[in-house]
Amino acid sequence: MASYITAVNQLIAERVAAIPTLVLYGENINNGSHISGLTKNLEVQESGRILNVGNCEATHCGFGFGLMMSGVSSVLFAKQLDFMLLGIEHFVNTYNFIRSHFPPNSLGSFTIVTLICDQGFQGPQSSTNALGDICSLARVPGYSVTNRQDVRYVLATQLGKPGFRFIGLSQRLFPTEFMNLETVYVADDSSVFQYTQGSDVTIVCFNFSLPEGYALHEQLSRRGISSSLFSVNQVPKQNWDAIKKSVGQTRKLIVMDDSKSVNLSCYALLHEIEDEFPSTQKIVVTRETNIDFGVCPDNFQIDHDAIIARLGTRMAARR
Amino acid sequence: MLKKNKTKQDPVLKDHQLTLEVLRLRYWQLLVNEGLKKKEFKIPIHVALGHEAIAVAVHHMMKSGDRLVLSHRNMAYNLIREGSLKPVYNEYQLLSTGVAGGKLGSQNLANPDAGVVYSSSILGNNLSVACGLAYGNEVLNRPGLVTVLTGDGGIEEGPFYEGLVFSKSLQLKMLIIVENNNQSMSSKIEERRCPISLSDMCEAVKIPFRSLSGNDVFEYAPALQSIRALAVEQSTPVLVEAFLTTLNHHAGPTSGWPTDPKNVSLENGLIVEKSSNDPVFVLQQKIDPFLFSELSEQVLGEERTG
Repeated sequence: MASYITAVNQLIAERVAAIPTLVLYGENINNGSHISGLTKNLEVQESGRILNVGNCEATHCGFGFGLMMSGVSSVLFAKQLDFMLLGIEHFVNTYNFIRSHFPPNSLGSFTIVTLICDQGFQGPQSSTNALGDICSLARVPGYSVTNRQDVRYVLATQLGKPGFRFIGLSQRLFPTEFMNLETVYVADDSSVFQYTQGSDVTIVCFNFSLPEGYALHEQLSRRGISSSLFSVNQVPKQNWDAIKKSVGQTRKLIVMDDSKSVNLSCYALLHEIEDEFPSTQKIVVTRETNIDFGVCPDNFQIDHDAIIARLGTRMAARR
Repeated sequence: MLKKNKTKQDPVLKDHQLTLEVLRLRYWQLLVNEGLKKKEFKIPIHVALGHEAIAVAVHHMMKSGDRLVLSHRNMAYNLIREGSLKPVYNEYQLLSTGVAGGKLGSQNLANPDAGVVYSSSILGNNLSVACGLAYGNEVLNRPGLVTVLTGDGGIEEGPFYEGLVFSKSLQLKMLIIVENNNQSMSSKIEERRCPISLSDMCEAVKIPFRSLSGNDVFEYAPALQSIRALAVEQSTPVLVEAFLTTLNHHAGPTSGWPTDPKNVSLENGLIVEKSSNDPVFVLQQKIDPFLFSELSEQVLGEERTG
């Protein structure tokens, strides 16, 4: 089986080769390690371009919006989400201008594909892991892709589409085996993916926590507890209907969010569930509030046994 | 007196097109300033009295397919490109009949049909966007120059330097105009930073550099046409530093308060300052005084609504 990064690279290469007049650019995208393998073997059609550019990330971001206004589609590949913080002004101000005035179908597509350094031991300045925060600030979609199905679907439906979005890759997952799950449901806007259907528990994973959520699902299955497993991307105007339908049946919700943020995306879901299904048992797994700002493993700690124990007590009582 | 109903084909008017446009631009801006005094607008508006010569010269330089990327003080360029006050004035009043349907206001006013594709109220923001527009031309094999405006405040931002390096690295057909009005909000250059030699910066990255001063539209217009040819034929960004004086306050009306020593009023005619800081005064010195009076009267007699 291919590793996460090898497989994602192949899927990106296949997708970008199919899009006409596409500009691919970024630092070191066609030399050296090709951004840790992310941009190896990329090819574009004759009308497209592959540009190796200098170290000026704010300009990279404005450049993409200029191309967009020209009607030219582009993909910016970035080594770290940290570097994209330099472009935040464009994600907000420049794109607000474009959205307020230009008809969407007159625009090119602009996608930023960025690694997110969640593998730990990166140091105080290279471990930003809060794609949802940036997307929220700019009111743009961000897709935290983890497996073959969501990578394929997001690339097919979003890459090349007019407008702007992020696709984030987890560097923690780079050497791991590429997850290959079946999908039960995929929202049209790629905001919600459902991978299993169960009647006892609803598990909803935010950011890059799907591997942990899937591991929990497997442990629950071994104990005879069936779960619906969802993964959620950061999309403006979230539609939680599929998740709510599941929660309406299970009344047991486990939410996981490994983002390093104070305002987590999962809180919006929890708020709506509280309103509609106030009796739902909720277990929320996030990072500790007091994160370590220094060099550290950056682990997203999950105690599966403790979660199962909390569920088990109630479930036993219900049965 | 020249009659109002004469068209641009009239040889007299055609010969004096530059003059008429500078005068008209001044008149329109003075009308906006009067509107500001009467509090007719809810939005922040940055009048550009004193910017007429460079704006008219840029307008005349532009050819089909050329595009303009502006800053927050974009009034002169938007007015001259639109060729009429009313759609811009209506935009400032946020009316649906405005040039952008009342959605962009003043600081971000753009008018793609007139070649104004982007205006940014964030200093240093627009160079990279201009780079993308210029590269888009290359990718799509479209002719055209992208002209981007910034100022002596904008060049203090890091993305200005990035834009120079990036545009030169990609050999983009761009004209970067730095309007040096020695003013960033209310502070002069010496009050906020060390001097910056744009000539030296350009030399460092091998970008051709030109300087314009004196506010003479008859000098600026042919100079910019030569500069455009240089940028397009050699496929290079070119930087022009245009020295000028903004004759009004940073934003809002001038005068801005009852005891304001700076007095700008339509009642005083089209000349705001009797010095070379004022492009209209420079015009007056360059052409026959009677012709200047006649053309001024003609412009002042035109419909205020444009």
